[in-house]
Amino acid sequence: MNLQEFLAMEDNFDRDELIDLRGLDFVSDYDSHLMCPICHCPFVDPVRLQCDHVFCQSCLSSAINTFRSADSDEFPCPSCRTPTREVSTSVPRLLINMCDEIRDIGLDGKCMHVLRQCPRCEEDVMEQDYEEHDKELCPVLETSCVDCETVVSRKALKEHVEACPEVIVPCAAAKHACPVKVRRADIAMHEQSCPLVTMIPYFEVQNTRLNSLELSMRHLQQRNEIFEDGLANIRSTLVESARIGASAAPSGQSANNGRDQPSTRTETNTDDPTDISSSVFSSNATTYLLSLHESLREEVEQIKHNLTDLDARASMALMNECIRMKEDMAHTNAAVNSVRMQVQWLMNPRLHGTRTGAVRANTGNETPRSPMASSSTAGSSSTTAQPLGPLRPRRPSDSGREGTKL
Amino acid sequence: MGSQKRIAKELTELTESPPAGIMVELADEANLYEWKVHMEGPEKSPFHNGKFLVKLSLPTEYPFKPPTVSFATKIYHPNVTNDDKGSMCLGMLRADEWKPSSKISAVLQFARQLLAEPMPDDAVEGRIAEQYKNDRARYEEVAREWTRKHAC
Repeated sequence: MNLQEFLAMEDNFDRDELIDLRGLDFVSDYDSHLMCPICHCPFVDPVRLQCDHVFCQSCLSSAINTFRSADSDEFPCPSCRTPTREVSTSVPRLLINMCDEIRDIGLDGKCMHVLRQCPRCEEDVMEQDYEEHDKELCPVLETSCVDCETVVSRKALKEHVEACPEVIVPCAAAKHACPVKVRRADIAMHEQSCPLVTMIPYFEVQNTRLNSLELSMRHLQQRNEIFEDGLANIRSTLVESARIGASAAPSGQSANNGRDQPSTRTETNTDDPTDISSSVFSSNATTYLLSLHESLREEVEQIKHNLTDLDARASMALMNECIRMKEDMAHTNAAVNSVRMQVQWLMNPRLHGTRTGAVRANTGNETPRSPMASSSTAGSSSTTAQPLGPLRPRRPSDSGREGTKL
Repeated sequence: MGSQKRIAKELTELTESPPAGIMVELADEANLYEWKVHMEGPEKSPFHNGKFLVKLSLPTEYPFKPPTVSFATKIYHPNVTNDDKGSMCLGMLRADEWKPSSKISAVLQFARQLLAEPMPDDAVEGRIAEQYKNDRARYEEVAREWTRKHAC
């Protein structure tokens, strides 16, 4: 069957299956060769490709839809990527039988979630839990105590453990650091001899005393804090009032003193010395600081004065210096200019000389008369000797320099 | 939703019998498509003793589309990008080489194998690949250093 037919068949396939075969949990393990490489479940409606790879029909069709490039009639095998055109629905009977067999084992007609009543304890238990319940969990079942090996029913086990003489229990004084742990049968004997057990009532009394003491201490601490706060408040208000009184009427104080001596005297006495002295000290300090400030200000003023003075002097000196330098500059500028003029003047004849030299090179070979012609062109250099030609113009420059010097 | 079924199946297989040096769990219990993989550096590689956190994300089209593998732990390796993504370049994960029959277990084992034997010709970090080819001692030294710094 070719690809198109296969896809068409897949489309027409009735998808309303009774159960989702892939959703099953299989009871037994199955061979991994019976597993579709795409969905990892035992094959459902297996189909085979040319390369002998087998897939579920639905898995293969979704693989084809994903991998096939548009409308070509080829697709790569999902296992080995061999380009494939044909899909064969004929799969070895053996394979189908083996897959069916797995499902037969899994689906032996019983739902694992059905409730089933235990005949002993009459409790309803789910089918999948029944086996465990039947063997281990049913409360009617008998078990043996771990410590004394008495056989009791599971229901009664808890009560038994509470009373079992073989269970290991700690000494009654364990709370008071007795490390002994012995069987319940022997605990009475131990407790008779244990010194800590005899002390228990005493410990209890001490503990309660300690607790009550701690409680009262906490109370006292809180009260103490409240008192301290109040004291600080009172002190601050007193300081305030003393300061106001001291500044307002140092003179009136004597009169005051005389008038209500008996009532206020005692109160003021307690904190007067510190407050008064502190206010006096503070006023002293302020005046001192003020005077210091004043003198410092004067000093600053003076320094400012000096500074402006210095500034003016410095700028004057700078200006003087500047003017002198400007003059100097002008001088040098003039000198440089004159030197430039001289150089130019010097260069001129030299240029002339080279030109005449060139002319002479053209004419020099012809006749001895030519010096006459060249002398007429050379002008000032006419008196000098011919062979030195281009070097000659130097001399007039010497004379020129002498001229400028003068 | 055939993909969920298969992913769940592979997850139970991997948690029940994990391959050597690999431990998988879901990053988020409610999301089957994002996995957290704890990978131990293979012996006889510079990553030995390192514990690497690898993120594996599966497309909803799985197994028809390949998963992607990235290193959350920094690693000095020619086939892992040296940025905050840490994406790993695995040949079998390329879209044109992926086969639906490949299993996640195989992908992870292949990734771990790649730690022991990098493929410099398939590299994403050219500089590291160059160093791996020309100066193996230095490469191993740096890789060991990074493992000590980031993966211990």
